[in-house]
Amino acid sequence: MEPVARVRAQTPETGSPTRIALRRLRRDPTALLCAGTVLFFVLVAVFAPLLAALAGQDPLTHHFELIDDGTSLPLVGMTPEHWFGVEPRLGRDLFARWAFGARPSLLVAAVATTVSTLVGVTVGLVAGFVGGRVDRVLSWLVDLVLSLPYLLFAIATPATLMAVVGLTPDDAEPSVVSEIRFYSLIIVLSTFGWAGLARLIRGEVLSLREREFIAAARVLGVPTRRVLTRELLPNLVAPIVVSVSMALPGYVVAEAGLTFLGVGLTEPTPSWGVTIASAVSAYESVPHYLWIPVLSVTALVLALSLLGDAVRDAFDPKTRR
Amino acid sequence: MKRWKRTVAVVAAAALGTAGCGVRTPPSATPQASAPSDIDIQTNSIDPDATGPAREVPGARQGGVLTVYGQNPPDTFDPTDIYFVDSNEIGKLLFRTPTQFDVRAGKPVLVPDLTDVGKVSDDKLTWTFTFKGGRYEDGNDIRVEDLAYAIKRSFAHDIYRNGPTYQLTYFKDGKKYKGPYRDGEDYAGVQTRGDKLIIKLDKPFADLPFYLSFPMFTPIPKASDSKQEYKNRPLATGPYRFESFTPGSELNLTRNPNWAPETDPVRHQYVDGWRFRWGADPVKTQKQVLASNGEDANAVDYANVDASVLAEATGARSAQLVKGDSPCSIGVQIDSRKVPLAVRRAIAKAYPYDQVRKASGLTDVSAERSSTILPPSVPGFARYTPVEDLDGTGTGDPEGARALLREADAEGFALSWYYDNQQPLTQQVSQVRADALEQAGFTVKPIGVSSAELRAKKSDYDAPVNMGQSPGGWCSDWPTGGSWFPVLFRTQSIGEGQSWGMLGEKKLDKKINKLAKLPAEESEEKWAALDEEIMKKYVFLPHYYDKTAIVAGSNVGGCEADPTMGMPFLPTMFLKK
Repeated sequence: MEPVARVRAQTPETGSPTRIALRRLRRDPTALLCAGTVLFFVLVAVFAPLLAALAGQDPLTHHFELIDDGTSLPLVGMTPEHWFGVEPRLGRDLFARWAFGARPSLLVAAVATTVSTLVGVTVGLVAGFVGGRVDRVLSWLVDLVLSLPYLLFAIATPATLMAVVGLTPDDAEPSVVSEIRFYSLIIVLSTFGWAGLARLIRGEVLSLREREFIAAARVLGVPTRRVLTRELLPNLVAPIVVSVSMALPGYVVAEAGLTFLGVGLTEPTPSWGVTIASAVSAYESVPHYLWIPVLSVTALVLALSLLGDAVRDAFDPKTRR
Repeated sequence: MKRWKRTVAVVAAAALGTAGCGVRTPPSATPQASAPSDIDIQTNSIDPDATGPAREVPGARQGGVLTVYGQNPPDTFDPTDIYFVDSNEIGKLLFRTPTQFDVRAGKPVLVPDLTDVGKVSDDKLTWTFTFKGGRYEDGNDIRVEDLAYAIKRSFAHDIYRNGPTYQLTYFKDGKKYKGPYRDGEDYAGVQTRGDKLIIKLDKPFADLPFYLSFPMFTPIPKASDSKQEYKNRPLATGPYRFESFTPGSELNLTRNPNWAPETDPVRHQYVDGWRFRWGADPVKTQKQVLASNGEDANAVDYANVDASVLAEATGARSAQLVKGDSPCSIGVQIDSRKVPLAVRRAIAKAYPYDQVRKASGLTDVSAERSSTILPPSVPGFARYTPVEDLDGTGTGDPEGARALLREADAEGFALSWYYDNQQPLTQQVSQVRADALEQAGFTVKPIGVSSAELRAKKSDYDAPVNMGQSPGGWCSDWPTGGSWFPVLFRTQSIGEGQSWGMLGEKKLDKKINKLAKLPAEESEEKWAALDEEIMKKYVFLPHYYDKTAIVAGSNVGGCEADPTMGMPFLPTMFLKK
């Protein structure tokens, strides 16, 4: 990769691994472009209400006057009032729905990544470092989770969760159902996401704990917790960052995919997956209805993935000479 | 004809939560693809003198195999058990019945088939049909006793659960007789004498000759009656017979050499065989048929055309779009037991017809706005000046409705209905309706239920809802008011689970009973007057008359709408080359 070559030509880098990595990232145009794209979507999500207000629209208001009586298709395309046009049948503003739709994607991905990373790292650290019976139990748990059928759980969890909170499909409002689906997405993605990372971290820890600096710390009587957080964790930053950078785009896709399949978010919550699912049938008549959310998901996932690649390269000691 | 709804997916009807009988299908391909803007009125005419052979269809030729695509496979071909539009239409190729419908200039005309169209006694309780003869596919002669046996067989409703049930209500001792398997063949309601088939009734049933066009009345020789097995290999009397049948996916028919064209005034035997294929994605098959590449030029798809396919059926291809009527009327009912008249008026005043229509994704091709109970395809239909606020159009008048509510001292009246909370479309439609009614000062509580439960919930008349119960639409069993009003608006309709508005008015019952006794020609106009009278009770918010539109391959000829089924009329179809 071009930037790496440039780095190589320079004098050996100094500073903590994180500092070095950041410095390298700043010099990587791909990484910067991707970071910019991700930042753009994050800002869109954060300021969705502002953006919608700027356009003078909101994601839930129907504009039936813009819908053709004979075909139920929109009468308008992209207009100064409706920047992305309106939805067929219901006439909801597509720009507002797009802006608000970025929220669940990013939120689900961010929360699921955070949770699965925290759990995965903790379990991996403990299992790898403590060893013995604890390791066996935790490893068994990891194997169990990895062997569970992910899709089946994704489909079953919303219903189970409804029952847990004491709701039947009979008395649940669509908005409540959608909220429950939101949490169930996070739960499912987090539940299935931590195990891989935990196994990875455990392996790293197993090799690290035999090193001299760990032995030294132990001999000096440093408490286990401190050994874990101060000695081991900093050496695990690279695998963790890599794992996160791969998990984020994966969860964005998973959210959109599960929603498209009908087990994710539901109406009336604006979400790209929901929009894509309903836009498929209207593709011939209103192509941009489908294209905008599809391109957005693609751009976001691509940017996150490439950014992840760059981050991994930046943290990789082998490219650091 | 409520049960027919399963036949074909009725997206729009389901969207309204109506799902009455969602028949949909299409018709008429001929070049007179004129503007089917308004649904034509079926003339309830009977032509007792029609004789075979059927008049030739212009341009028709022999040969070829026609492919028919459908979405949901019929679950039975036992003639006694058939109550779906698609299997009923296919039955027209297989089963000759005492009477049958011809389609003349788009209108159904009842004509003789195996018997004449019948004579009724002075007390209206005994019908006599004269048998004309015919042969089964195995070459054996049909006996008039076989006709009688088939009718008796239909009383074994515990075995043939899905079939129509008018005979249980109208025929003599219909409630007591349980069919030949349990009660033997000695049944007072159906007798034979020489070449006469005699049907005795408990109460007058003027529409009986129409009823006798159902596949249920096709002859079945007792010796061949394999009960539950019969549905997989029924004995044919029509121009085609089973070649092979794979339940759930495909059916192949081949020519029946023992069908005698000279005795059949309607059916033809133009193609060599039929291939019915079920289960493929309808949008996909419709696009194939429209493109008409290779074998698909010889195909039709009987599911109502999808909007995305419709957009492609322009220019030269528009001739492949076969449009026509269906016998259905769709809307939302209000429970008159729980909602007083003044409040019902307010609901109608506030009702967002336009928004609901758009949110349901209805198109002019699939649905014509309605303002009556009867659809235009029923003779006697009159497009009278719509009752105020029951015109199926408009965005609702919340202020006016609020005023009406205040007048009735019922502000905040609670309204509740079931909707399918697993389908985005039905959720959205329910929401649109709720918004409008809430704006008018109602307290609105839609109850979401799963798709699987929806039908049962809506059919429960004791459920805690006061709007939108089942049926949300109805289809003619035959084209007279007699298959509508007696079924839907009598007190007993509530007990039978097929009521619109849960009306329990003795006076109305009497009126309907009286009209039901009249011969079809005399009752036509009176049904229409009754239509308006019932509409004024504000128990039914009319949405649309179902219409049908299907695609036919470029090589398919003679494809016309069967307005009694809302399907393509199979007996006249042929391949152009």
